[in-house]
Amino acid sequence: MLLEGAIVYSNLLALLSLGLTLTYITTSVPNFAHGSIAVMGSYLALSLYYFLGIHPYFSLPIVFALCGILGIACYLVILKPLIERGASIVVLMIATLALDLILFGFIGMISDSIGTIAKKFIFTTYDFEIQGISGAFFVSSAVVLFTLASLWFLLFKTKFGIALRASMENPTLAETMGINVEKTRIFSWFISCALAGIAGALLPFKQEIVPLTGSLIIVSIFSASILGGIASIVGALVGGYLIGISESLVTYALSFVFGTEVLLYSKVVSLSALIIALLVAPNGIVEGLRKWSKSFST
Amino acid sequence: MEQILLNVIFWFGIYAIVSISLNLEYGLAGIPNFGRALAVLFGAFTVGGIVNRIFIAYYGIQGELIESSAELKTILNQKIAEDPIFGILLLLLYLTTAAIVCGAIGAIVILPSARLSRDYLAITLLAISEVSFMVFNYSTSLSGGYYGISLPDVFAFYAGNRQLLFALLSLAILVCILILAERISNSPFGRLLRAMREDEDVVKAYGRNLMVLRVKISAISSAIAGIAGAIFSLFTANFIASNFTRVEWTFYPFLMVLLGGAGNNKGVLLGTLVFVTVRQLLTVYKYEIVETLKIPFETVWMEYIAFGLVMFLVLVYRPEGLLKESPVLKVARRLRSSESSR
Repeated sequence: MLLEGAIVYSNLLALLSLGLTLTYITTSVPNFAHGSIAVMGSYLALSLYYFLGIHPYFSLPIVFALCGILGIACYLVILKPLIERGASIVVLMIATLALDLILFGFIGMISDSIGTIAKKFIFTTYDFEIQGISGAFFVSSAVVLFTLASLWFLLFKTKFGIALRASMENPTLAETMGINVEKTRIFSWFISCALAGIAGALLPFKQEIVPLTGSLIIVSIFSASILGGIASIVGALVGGYLIGISESLVTYALSFVFGTEVLLYSKVVSLSALIIALLVAPNGIVEGLRKWSKSFST
Repeated sequence: MEQILLNVIFWFGIYAIVSISLNLEYGLAGIPNFGRALAVLFGAFTVGGIVNRIFIAYYGIQGELIESSAELKTILNQKIAEDPIFGILLLLLYLTTAAIVCGAIGAIVILPSARLSRDYLAITLLAISEVSFMVFNYSTSLSGGYYGISLPDVFAFYAGNRQLLFALLSLAILVCILILAERISNSPFGRLLRAMREDEDVVKAYGRNLMVLRVKISAISSAIAGIAGAIFSLFTANFIASNFTRVEWTFYPFLMVLLGGAGNNKGVLLGTLVFVTVRQLLTVYKYEIVETLKIPFETVWMEYIAFGLVMFLVLVYRPEGLLKESPVLKVARRLRSSESSR
């Protein structure tokens, strides 16, 4: 039961950190609004259920599309004008912080329009069960597998994937080779935010959602991305699972020592992991392990 | 009307201290401290959670922090009412401890990422700030959690409007801090910070340690921000962690600094004044806005969207702010005087 919850959470965190890494690689800005985009997904799923009666599992494709479009809009409206004016990374980061606040405002509006039930909600009662294992476990795992398979196919089996990988490696060189880097950026923002929306729509099956959830979950997302290596897609997955599982299991283990009050502070675990990662392997463990294994061969 | 004016002055005093501190760190040194709220939070916590704990132990008051701090409040309020000097000394004790504690906190939190690039710095500082906010918000044994910690009224001897005294206090401290900030920005250390902001490699090439520079300026500016937090919590006479959100104490200070002009203290003051006035007017006409537009949600959400958009517009159309950063005056003056003496 505990492990099952941990895996559901890790699946969602892997999706979130994967998206964050994608936009970081193509636009080279850490998106501080990523958590709020996920919570936007949660509230979209809630609105679809509340107003149209669509079950959260069946509304996943709609949330995917809507959040993806939201992502493209965020990039085109907020970031692109700044990048064109040659803004520094810090300015871009502040812009995503402003975007986070704007999204937070919209989330609050949606929440108030739905009514009191939206102030704090959870989907677990709508979930199904197979032999005592929650549906969220199957659905989130299926989503991760499907995402990985399609991403792999896209990146390594299509022409667009080659262009995408080229512009991730070296955008200027890719541009001189005639690749439309702009297109790859728009695509990465679409995928990133769409995945965040899906993760957000599934998150209420695991924990309670309030409008402020985004600003807390961003800690876990960043920890996962940095632990794995913020510029590495494989790292994002590894980091997502490491942080997700340790957040649940380490906090659970600590609750035996310090009492159940500790369970509230699971984010302290991800923060500690983030700090340790920065001190030991600032480029992430995937890169760190590669270097470490290389040091033997030479 | 008088109350509105007083509110504007009070908030201007508090927010100007925070935005000047952020200007030292971001405007001058280029450190994107997305965790400004942390220092403010700790400044407020020092008053309620550290100094008052010592008093509670001194008076031997038993019980949970929430009750014992209320008891301490009664004892101290009585003492202050009898003896104004005790109140002033207590205030100074609170403010200096807050500055020292927050200076230390500022130096510690930047350590893990001080040698890394700016995006890592921003992420780590934001993460530490958010997690501390959460811990202080939930933990009843550490900081009173949802109920908060009662604080004594350091101006209990004054029967009139205490907000007036707090407004004057914050303005007085703001003047001291402005002098300090101007001195720092015109000193060799300030020029070094500017150099670090423009090009880190150049500073490294001149044999300066970036990490030491960052830790120093972060400690100074966090100490200043901590004082603002302490004044604010003394004014509300209660420490509640939920007052110290990222929006109010990190994002809004950034907005004030960028609106006014990063790196320029005068501009930052102007930006703070504009922001505080607009926000106060929004608060005053809140019900009128809701009535005329017939919106089904609270106005605070619209405030968030509006200020988020303002930030974006500033970044796109006025990245240097209302007042541009002026060149360092001292050098120019010294050059001129040496030329005239020749």
